[in-house]
Amino acid sequence: MYNFLFFLILEILGVIFLILSFSVISIYLTIMVLSALEMRDHIRKNHFADYEDIVTSPIAPSVSILAPAFNEGQSIVQNAQSLLSLFYGKFEVIIINDGSKDDTLEQLINAFDLERTSYAYYPEIETKKVRGIYKSQNISYGKLVVIDKENGGKADALNAGINLSEMEILACIDVDCILSSESITRMVRPFMEEANRKVIAVGGVIGIANNCDVQDGTVTKYRIPTTLLGRFQVIEYFRAFLMGRMAWTRINGLMLISGAFGFFKRDVVLAVGGYFPKTVGEDMELLVRMRRYMEERNIPYKVGFIPDPLCWTEVPESEEVLSKQRNRWMRGTIETLQLHRVIRFNPRYGVLGMISYPFWALFEKAAPIIESTGIIYTFILLFIGEFSAIYFFSLLVLMYLLTLLISAFSILYEQISYNNYKDKKDLNRLILTVLVEPILVHPKIIFWGLKGHLDFITGKGGWGKMIRTGFKKAEDRKNLETQSQNS
Amino acid sequence: MRKVLFFILVPLFFVGTSNAIGQQNQPDLTDSVAFHDFLIKQNEVPGLSVRFILENKILTDSIPAASLFGFTELTSGGLVSSAFSQLNQFTKLRDTLKLLNPKWEFLIFSQPSSLTASQEYVANLLRNGDIQIVGQSNLSSNDLILLASKLPYKPLAQYKFQVISDYKLFVVTVIIVFFFVMALLMILFMLVFKAKKNKREQLTKDYEFLIVGPLTNLLFEKELDEIKKLSDAEINDIFPATLLSKALFQHVLIDKIIGLNKKMKGDFKNKLKALYQRLELNKVSLGNLKSKQWDRVATGLVQINEMDLIEALSEVKKFTNSPNFYVRSQAVGTLLNLSDKMDLVFLKDQTYPLSAWQQMNYLRIIKFLYQSKELHMKSLFESENQSVRLFGYKLVRLIGLVDFLEDLGKLAPNASDEEKIEIIKTYEVLGAHMQADFVNDCLLSENPKLQQAAAQAIGEIGNKESVTILENLLKSQPEFRLKMILLKSLQNLDSNQFEKFTSIQMDFDTQRIKRHLLDPLLRHV
Repeated sequence: MYNFLFFLILEILGVIFLILSFSVISIYLTIMVLSALEMRDHIRKNHFADYEDIVTSPIAPSVSILAPAFNEGQSIVQNAQSLLSLFYGKFEVIIINDGSKDDTLEQLINAFDLERTSYAYYPEIETKKVRGIYKSQNISYGKLVVIDKENGGKADALNAGINLSEMEILACIDVDCILSSESITRMVRPFMEEANRKVIAVGGVIGIANNCDVQDGTVTKYRIPTTLLGRFQVIEYFRAFLMGRMAWTRINGLMLISGAFGFFKRDVVLAVGGYFPKTVGEDMELLVRMRRYMEERNIPYKVGFIPDPLCWTEVPESEEVLSKQRNRWMRGTIETLQLHRVIRFNPRYGVLGMISYPFWALFEKAAPIIESTGIIYTFILLFIGEFSAIYFFSLLVLMYLLTLLISAFSILYEQISYNNYKDKKDLNRLILTVLVEPILVHPKIIFWGLKGHLDFITGKGGWGKMIRTGFKKAEDRKNLETQSQNS
Repeated sequence: MRKVLFFILVPLFFVGTSNAIGQQNQPDLTDSVAFHDFLIKQNEVPGLSVRFILENKILTDSIPAASLFGFTELTSGGLVSSAFSQLNQFTKLRDTLKLLNPKWEFLIFSQPSSLTASQEYVANLLRNGDIQIVGQSNLSSNDLILLASKLPYKPLAQYKFQVISDYKLFVVTVIIVFFFVMALLMILFMLVFKAKKNKREQLTKDYEFLIVGPLTNLLFEKELDEIKKLSDAEINDIFPATLLSKALFQHVLIDKIIGLNKKMKGDFKNKLKALYQRLELNKVSLGNLKSKQWDRVATGLVQINEMDLIEALSEVKKFTNSPNFYVRSQAVGTLLNLSDKMDLVFLKDQTYPLSAWQQMNYLRIIKFLYQSKELHMKSLFESENQSVRLFGYKLVRLIGLVDFLEDLGKLAPNASDEEKIEIIKTYEVLGAHMQADFVNDCLLSENPKLQQAAAQAIGEIGNKESVTILENLLKSQPEFRLKMILLKSLQNLDSNQFEKFTSIQMDFDTQRIKRHLLDPLLRHV
């Protein structure tokens, strides 16, 4: 009996892996086609856009740039100056000092002649205590506001910024990001274009600044990072931004806008109660909640994405830091999917419920588990003598080729659309990275993803423990849902 | 009926099958001679052997070929040979011992058995198909069962390819084929696309090189009339006919002319427009309008707009209500720019909502035209399309059309809340004090957005009555943001009253809002 069951499970697993292989290939090929179409349309539309008009037009929306800072004393002044020099008419820069233990606030006060004001701060979204709000005496820095608050994490800091902001659009960024001077004009375009649907958020591409030359807040010379992990992330970012997010935008199924560079409609953010500070995936969670809000009220909406290179950041090149980042990303994904599991395969939520959520659950959240199960399955087959070399190597080679195809195409997209990496040596190195990535880097990513699952289950790491406690008590979720329904 | 047939046919099937199984060709083994003959012929039967017994004690040395038999002594005094399973030797061995009068005994699985038992045992084996009769060439159904029990299973239908018979292998093959076909198609497409793009870029560079020189010479060396009167031969001397007929060359030429037209002024502009017509590039622009691709149509509209192709206006007008946003925007922009007669009346009938992007573009054009041309902006207020009406109110505010305030005053009381907000903002910006009563009414609205807009505007255009309303509203404990706006407006309208009010109302929110409003650093926030 047990023998029969064992072989039955093996047989079922075999069939599941075949179906998954077919799905992976079909879905990624579809993503490649959709992203190509979206990119083509974006380039065509760009041809007819006069961005200079937006800068001065009274009809263009106003923008609040929210930049949380924690222990950024060394670079905060330079970063704030870079933000203040952005090319746009109606905007303000709100820097939130999230209880830094270094001299971040003092640096800002000295550099911009800041003074503590009597600002009547009203926390529409609950945050940690705000200690003071600063403004400059110098009219040249009139666009700058600094909030000093107790440490509460990135989401809490952003919520404080949202409470203070009064502009139509919120640009939530990482303070150490380098923004192109055109970044606001380009990012607000989707908000202005749509007439039939409300654009609730717009995401942008994050470029990798490691090893690049930066002058006056703009990347002047592109070079790929020197380490394998750095180069891997260049390709990964191409795949994620130029391919994945473009394809999701095509079908209005985007579920994630990078926390380092995302624009949101302020009224919708306030309506859903701002960022949820108890998750480590606050960027994804906010967007999913905003989408849920719109879907539940049957308000036509859109989440846009701009593939132009407008924002750059430094990525971790050490395994230790990268592993922590991936672990956090995985926990963030799990937490968001858990929090919003009501949308899973729920036709009421349209593309979000029927396509985006299942895709994320299967190909992002469960990917490390599925891949590890595949390895264990192969070893079991080897052990019991049922291993078929022809299946194994066929699928292995197939998946390897698929990875190569996707990565190569993402590089090609970048070359056709923007051609930032002009040095042939850089291109050759990227191609070499594409070849070795599935063997040298991917297993590590899987391992870190698995560790993220484990940490989520055991409640380790960052805010993971808090959210798990919340799930047990069902308080956080209840609060979250109430917030969403009431507003 | 189907059930009845099923119950009849199924038993019939089994009856037929069992009959077929019963018709097996078995030899008759009941006769001992036939049985012996069968065993000799068969040579070997699984589990069956035979041994010889000599009842009298005889010296083994006297037995011929004694070593062959392996005799052992019986307790009764006789001798017994070892068991032989090669039954065809039976006759030969029996003949060897003939003189000693041997007896023989069958053994079934080493147990002595009678002849009858042995016969039944063999018969059973035959019946069950456990042995096959030697030399029987015609295979019966019995043999098939026997063969089937011995040979590994093979499907009834023998497929030619293993790939198809093994479903997993088949699926893997399908996936691989699918992947390779798709990958190949995509790679081919991208390669072709990239090659075309590279070729196009190279050709564009070459054409630019061929165009810039002659074009500059034409502009500087020829007068406007000369350009208009250029013969075909002269044109072909400058731009060869073979090149001029190529779409890409035309495209580059148009881009260069439009580029220069944007930068140049006066006579040069006229020369460029004349050249555009003389080179018949206007036909290319008009041709673009017939394309099914929206970007080509929009490009055509841009070209018509830039080169003032007034003859194309009737065609352009068809696109003002195009479902494509870009085409619609370009068409409206072109019409407003080029047509002397064209005003904003056509916009009144637009069914699609106006996006902020379109409004921004139209505002730029209208700002440029409104002083030199009668645009009939009032018609926008009469539109069925709310976004057009809202745009009309915005235009009054952004261009500063104070003359229209009276019209807005008539419309405002019956407008929707969204429109009221836009009108109030216009009153605020243009300082329409005569509309204070209307705004005072809106201060008491139940729509918080309208109330906020009114509270903000009243600070600029309010009257004495407004101060009383503001104070009453402040006493009713409004939510924080509204309270802040109300206090700010009160401060703007009557600073003494503000001071008095905030000195009486000592609640925490009022006091911190007061501090906020009095803070010089926050005046411009």
